[in-house]
Amino acid sequence: MNGSILNQSDCPEVVVPNPVFFTIGAVSFAENFLVVVAVIRNRNLHSPMYCFICSLAAFHTIASLTKTLENFMIVFADVGHLNKKGSSETTLDDAIDSLLCMSFLGSFFSILAIAVDRYITIFHALQYHNIMTMQRTGAILGIIWTVCGGLGVLMILFFDFKLIMICFVILFFISLVIICSLYVYMFMLARIHARKIAALPVGGRNNHHQQRWGSNMRGAQTITILFGTLVVCWSPFFFHLVIIMVCPMNPYCECYRSLFQLHVALLTSHALFDPAIYAFRIAELRHTLRKMLLCSDWKLCS
Amino acid sequence: MRTEKPPKRLLLRLQDSHEDGESFCVTVEMSDFHNRSQTSARRSDYVWQYEYYDDEEPVSFEGLKAHRYSIVIGFWVGLAVFVIFMFFVLTLLTKTGAPHQDNPDSAEKRHRPGSCLVDIDGHQDENDKAFSRPLLAGSRSYFNFYINEEDKGHGKQKAEEKRAGKHTGARVEGTFNRNRGVSSSGMDEMEEDIEEAGVHQQLTGLIEQSKTDRECTFLSHFNIPNFVNLDHSSTLGEDDLLYEPSVILERQSKSHDAHFDIH
Repeated sequence: MNGSILNQSDCPEVVVPNPVFFTIGAVSFAENFLVVVAVIRNRNLHSPMYCFICSLAAFHTIASLTKTLENFMIVFADVGHLNKKGSSETTLDDAIDSLLCMSFLGSFFSILAIAVDRYITIFHALQYHNIMTMQRTGAILGIIWTVCGGLGVLMILFFDFKLIMICFVILFFISLVIICSLYVYMFMLARIHARKIAALPVGGRNNHHQQRWGSNMRGAQTITILFGTLVVCWSPFFFHLVIIMVCPMNPYCECYRSLFQLHVALLTSHALFDPAIYAFRIAELRHTLRKMLLCSDWKLCS
Repeated sequence: MRTEKPPKRLLLRLQDSHEDGESFCVTVEMSDFHNRSQTSARRSDYVWQYEYYDDEEPVSFEGLKAHRYSIVIGFWVGLAVFVIFMFFVLTLLTKTGAPHQDNPDSAEKRHRPGSCLVDIDGHQDENDKAFSRPLLAGSRSYFNFYINEEDKGHGKQKAEEKRAGKHTGARVEGTFNRNRGVSSSGMDEMEEDIEEAGVHQQLTGLIEQSKTDRECTFLSHFNIPNFVNLDHSSTLGEDDLLYEPSVILERQSKSHDAHFDIH
């Protein structure tokens, strides 16, 4: 018998308590569901940009719901009510994982769609309504949902193949690069044009300059928050996938892998931050939410 | 996805006890199954063993040169550096080039009568050829229309342009109107922003200039319809960006009694 039994590895798995998962799941479900309902109920928000934001919120709703369901299942299994090796449980586990995978992919694609939509808004403003009609938006959203559903099922079915994981990781990095470059491009053009306006011979130039600097700072902050949240929430999980493929036996890598639950918690908390970054910054949507939450009768408050 | 490794189901392996003395031992990492594995370990023919990795031995932690969590620390430090670096690059971009253009002499030269359009064109060309031209062309026709409305003393040439511009202007106006109707939410935010920016000040200043200067400033304003013009480029990508020109036009139309109604 081996004396130095690794009953516990030197890097014990960091366990995130269940209440944390439940809280994140509940709050993000509430936020995102409210956003979806607000966009659907308010006719002013029936435009391409809001449709993408609604789709993002819908994916997050599904993600938080399925993650909460999975946590319930795990709690029941730990207590002993569920048989971890049973076929129905594993099938249910597969279904939940593929829904999770679909919603994560979907939220990522929705973020990409929002960035492209904003890009078209800025650089092709006059043709925007010809380029981004509601029919095209519907088609794009249909494609996103179908592709993500299919990919989610495929990834779970063929998870053992490394190719799937490699594709997943490559997709992630390419999308990150596209999103980052789109936003930086938009920012740079905004700066150039703001500078041109600053060149106008207007009185109160110092004030002008200060205001311009302040607004550009805010633009930089917005982009940093948007992109920074995306990167901080998503990349630990993807790095985990990379590490599994690259160095499964390395002790350093194992220490990174021991933080798996923390990385999944970060990934699910992205659903918590997204409404604050995208949806709640829109005044009309905030107004709709206020009306919905504070007024019991919709007609009375309008 | 709560398990420690991606193959989410535990691997149950049937293993000969003679194969590997070490693997015979009860190396279970999951306490739930500890009892089960102990009872099965008593049978010498096979062993249930839960392995997270492949057939090799468990990872050994002896002889590590660096700290155990060095990859973790390195990853997070790298991530933080990346985000902070991106923020600093963006803020540096906001600071470069601005102060010198505030010089009134250079501004006047820039807005010399004949060279107005040329100047703006040049800027556009040198910065962003690919995307700005359609914008410029469209907006210029629109603003030619607007300016012709304003400067009633212009000759036939302007009148012709006006007729030509009317169609483009009407179409563009329609576009702006639709933008406006559709994303009216950005209006509130943007109007607040504009108030803060002291747009009134700027617009009054613009209005009081000479006719040529006014033309040039209008053109330069309206050549940049999509930016959070007027010093608030913060909330990028929102409806604000589409609304800037329509609000500016509205205010100017009110002050100038323009003929066309932006609403």
